Formats: sequence, C-alpha cells, structure tokens
Amino acid sequence: MRKVALLSAYYLVITPAGLLARVTRDPLRRRWNRRARTYWISTERP
Amino acid sequence: MSDLVLGISAYYHDSAAALVADGVPVAAAQEERFTRRRHDSAFPSRAVEYCLREAGADLGDVSAVAYYEDPKLKFRRVVSTFLGAAPRGFASFSATLPEWLSWKLDVATTLRRRLAELDAGPVPRIVIRRHHESHAASAFLPSPYESAAVLCIDGVGEWATTTLWHGRGNRLRQLAELRFPHSLGLLYSAFTYFCGFKVDSGEYKLMGLAPYGRPRYAHLIRERLIDLKPDGSFRLDMRYFEYLRGQVMTGRGFERLFDGPRRLPEGPLTEREFDLAASVQQVTEEVVLALARTARRVTGESRLCLAGGVALNCVANGKVIQEEVFDEVWIQPAAGDAGGALGAALVVASERGAPRAHLGTGRDGMSGSLLGPAYDDEAIGAYLDAEGIPYTRLEPDELARRVAAELARGRIAGWFQGRMEFGPRALGARSILGDPRDTGMQSEMNLKIKFRESFRPFAPSVLASDAKDYFDLKQDSPYMLVVAGVSAAQRIEAADTGGATGLDLLRVQRSTIPAVTHVDSSARVQTVTEHNNPAYHRLLAAFKEETGCPVLVNTSFNVRGEPIVNSPREAYACFMRTNIDLLAMGGFLLDKTAQPEWREENDWREAIPLD
Repeated sequence: MRKVALLSAYYLVITPAGLLARVTRDPLRRRWNRRARTYWISTERP
Repeated sequence: MSDLVLGISAYYHDSAAALVADGVPVAAAQEERFTRRRHDSAFPSRAVEYCLREAGADLGDVSAVAYYEDPKLKFRRVVSTFLGAAPRGFASFSATLPEWLSWKLDVATTLRRRLAELDAGPVPRIVIRRHHESHAASAFLPSPYESAAVLCIDGVGEWATTTLWHGRGNRLRQLAELRFPHSLGLLYSAFTYFCGFKVDSGEYKLMGLAPYGRPRYAHLIRERLIDLKPDGSFRLDMRYFEYLRGQVMTGRGFERLFDGPRRLPEGPLTEREFDLAASVQQVTEEVVLALARTARRVTGESRLCLAGGVALNCVANGKVIQEEVFDEVWIQPAAGDAGGALGAALVVASERGAPRAHLGTGRDGMSGSLLGPAYDDEAIGAYLDAEGIPYTRLEPDELARRVAAELARGRIAGWFQGRMEFGPRALGARSILGDPRDTGMQSEMNLKIKFRESFRPFAPSVLASDAKDYFDLKQDSPYMLVVAGVSAAQRIEAADTGGATGLDLLRVQRSTIPAVTHVDSSARVQTVTEHNNPAYHRLLAAFKEETGCPVLVNTSFNVRGEPIVNSPREAYACFMRTNIDLLAMGGFLLDKTAQPEWREENDWREAIPLD
C-alpha cells in the first residue's frame, strides 16, 4: 500500500511537476554560464 | 551556576554532543566513541549523558538545546532534488521520504522524545540553527581572533555547500554562499567513491594517495566537471554525477571520462587511482586558494577561520598558509559535522550574551580539543586490578622517561592520558606512538598495528618550540590540520628514487624522520605545547633528551575501521590484539611481554567492518 502511494506520488506528482519546472526554469541552477563573472549568491540584506 | 547550552548533531554521520558553559566549551564527544560504531549517525544519547556528567548537570540545568541544522530547509532541498531528477530517482525517493515524514522533518519533537528517554530531568527548549551557521560559529567563536574572515566548505547541509562570513567580536555576518548541487566536498567525495573508497570517510585516504600520482586528469576536471571562476565560485556539470538521482556518486559519464569503471573496494590500486587522486587534489587546492583570496579581499581581514569537511583537507590548508593568503589561519579541530554540535551551542550561548572569554589570552577556546572523557588513576587502577593485569606504577616524569627510552629502542607504545580528543584526529590523548627516525616504522605500523593499507602516511607530533627546525611551517598547527614540507635541514639530499613510481616510492628514504615523511617530502604536523597537553609535551621532551629528536609518530589509538578507543578496557583490548609493545595508561605502564595470553572467542577482525 505504501509502495503504491509512493509510486503515485513520484510519477503522478513529482515527475510532471519536475519536468514542468525544468522547462520553465532551472530549479537547481545547474546550467553553466561561461560569461558570468561569479556564481556567488549574496546573502547580505541590502 | 553557569549558563549551559547543549549542542547536538545527528542523523547524517558523526553524531555528537557538546556542552558550553557561559560560552566556553566544557565537554564534547562523538557518539561513535561510546557505541563503538564508526561514524555512528544515531541520536547521541551516550555523548549527551557524558557531557551532562562532565558538568555535574542534568537537563533541567540546561538553558537550551541547539540542533546543528534546519531539517525543514533541508527537506525543501531534498524535494527540489527529486523535482530535478524525476522520473529517475524513485529508489532514493522511496527509501528516504517515509523517514523524512515520520520523524526527520519535525526534528524538535524527535529530539524532545529522545532526550526525555534519557530520564535526565526536564527537557529544555530546542533551538534549530542552520548547518553552515553551526560550522561558521565553530570556526570563529573559539578561534583566538577578535575579528576574521570565515570560510565553511563541505558536502552539503541544507542548501549551502560553501559559505563566506565576517566574524567580529561575538557576531558572525554571512556575506555569500554557493548552493547544492555545486559542492567542492561532493566533488571530492565523487572521486573518493570512484577510486573505491567509502564516501564520508575515505576522503582522507584519497588525499594520502595523491602524492603517489601525477595530476594528468586535472585539465579534464577543469574543462568538463567544474566551471571555476577567478573568485573561487564554481558550478559542477551534473551530467557527470549521479548524486542527484540516487545512492551512488558517479556513473557512466565518469567512466567515459576517466578510463573505465570505478575501482572496486579493496581492489588493486593502479596508476589511474594515484593520478585521479593527484588531479582532484590539485583542483581542490586551486578552488580553496581562490576562495581564500576572495575571503581576504571581501572582508579585508588578515586572519582566516575554517570549518566544514573540506577544512579537514590539511594539504589544501597547508597551501593557504604557504601562499600567505592570510597572516594566520585557525581551523576548527572538529571541522566535520561533529563540530556542528559545538557550533550550534556556541551560537546560542553567544546570543544569550556569553563573552568570548579566551580573547586576549592569545590562545583559542578549545582546550586543545581535549573535551572528552578522562579516566583518573583510581579508575584505571581499579580496572587493571579487577582484571589481574600486570603493570608498573610510575610518577609522570619517570613514565615519560621510560616510554621515551623504549620508543628510542624501536618499540611501539599506546599512549592513553587524560581527556579524549574531540574531532577525528588523535592528538596525544588516545594515540599510538613510534620513533619517526626508524625507516621500517611506517610499514610496521600500517601492517602490524593498524592493519590498514600500506600506502597510508603517518603524521608527526613535534615540540612547538622545535617545529621550525623540522618543518617549513609558518604557524602553529595544534590540531594536525596543516601539511607542511619537511625542512631542508632534515631532508636527505638527492634521495635516489631509482626510477620508482607508485607504492615503490615508499621505500625511498627522504629525511631524518622517514616514518612521517610522505613521498612528496611533506608531513601533516601537530605542534605540541605544554599548555595544550602537558603529559604529551613531557613525553616529547623526554624523547628529545634521549635521542636529540623532538618528533614522534602519532597515529590514532585504534585499528582500521574502529573508532578511537575511549576507555581503559578498549585501550587494553587494542593493545593486546595488535603488535603494540607497551601501554602507558595514566600512571601505569604495561609491557606486552609481561601480559597473560590474550584470548577471544571470536575473530575480532570480522566484527570490525573495513572503513
């Protein structure tokens, strides 16, 4: 039963949501940008 | 009574507890030392009990319990990872999601329940801190610096994998970060896995292997695996890594890039593994140096504090010091996740108004990292007498003289004195010691004492006052976290390698202290002062008096795969199972030749998993 719930959650929810997210944006920021000067993410409040 | 804060790290690897009184670390230990399961990740019940016992307190006396990372933030990262990997990654999803939902996500409730089970008084409030905040606090707050740049570099906690901070007084301000999946720690772990070693523990072996190889894959790593910017920030090319999708680190992409399938654990080591180790080590050093330069530029500070698992890469640390990026560097001795317990407790204590009382003394606030349990002579004597174990009782000076004389004769000694070390290194409280001048000592200690791979190097302890005569070390290294070259005066000029490569390089004598000189003529140095460890200092001074040499081989008191010994019983078992000749435990000296025959029902080596 638990397996069925996990399978449904993964393939009916996570997978479509993940595919959609990857089409519209790059949620894990995987892409390289050779021209960028930095990959640092500033955490200071302005 | 002092204001007590208890710190806990758990549920990933190296669980630990730490207790801070008015901002001063008074007790800290990893759970593995009590349960005897290496890198134990379970709730650290025994370590918590020990910390409370050490302070003579119960939970009712503790103001707050600080947990070292934020599980809700971490869970968001885990879900994002599945979103990024699906439809692949189901095996990992089904293995981890149930435990997340049942107890990991609401860790405060889990902790409250586990603490209540200890029956040690009312459970105080639980405070959650972030993973890198805990690392940063463990690096800066106990450091001897009024202000400093702080870098934390590790595998991953919640999202951050590398963070840059500015520490001033008792405040830490985060400036910038790099996030998962882009992680220097995970890059190093991927190569550790690919070379057939265990992730989260074999990284040390990979670092030790690097000097045997040539960095012929470094350009491939730079071109294909990591896009490194001049300011030290980077991204990895995730097409080559598997850790987003499942339980392994690398797959076919790595195999295509690096000449075939990964080495299987315990398989033969070939030129390729030496060269892979050398390559990833070189790239790691480049990244760490670039990060350090950025930290200096951005903060304007002349001192650097380091923590996070990558800060245990003492070769990279040595490079930062050698290149004089900063005037001084201080590294948290428990730089891995165990140290997060201490860091979390220190942050909370600091917010409650605790001062950094050690500032102005010129020393750090770690008490030599000797924060674990001690056994006094009464306890040790009671154990020895109850077991009918023969010994000689000696005064401290006489003990040091006797052990030094035996070491000078080529004998190997177990050294069990005072409080146990907090962090992965043995620092002369739970150590196995030998004569570094002995050309056969490295192989003898690896094969007959530690039962581990012959390529692994040993580290020296040196009297801090003599360190400069033996090593090109620009600053103290009290926690054995800095690699430096053996000084020219101790090197044997024009050592003839006879064209040796790979493991044959081991047979070449390079210095007057060959047992602790690695094949690239470097050494992972521990400098010892009387203040940090008087008993060990006394022994080193006695050895110098006996031989003229202020250096000893210092390796952790355990065999391969076993946690460092904690109690006299564990020390005695390790002494009897191995070819250690003497055991100095408190004021008692035990000689192997006088011991009754050692009998065990089962083969102990089968009970200890390989690391």
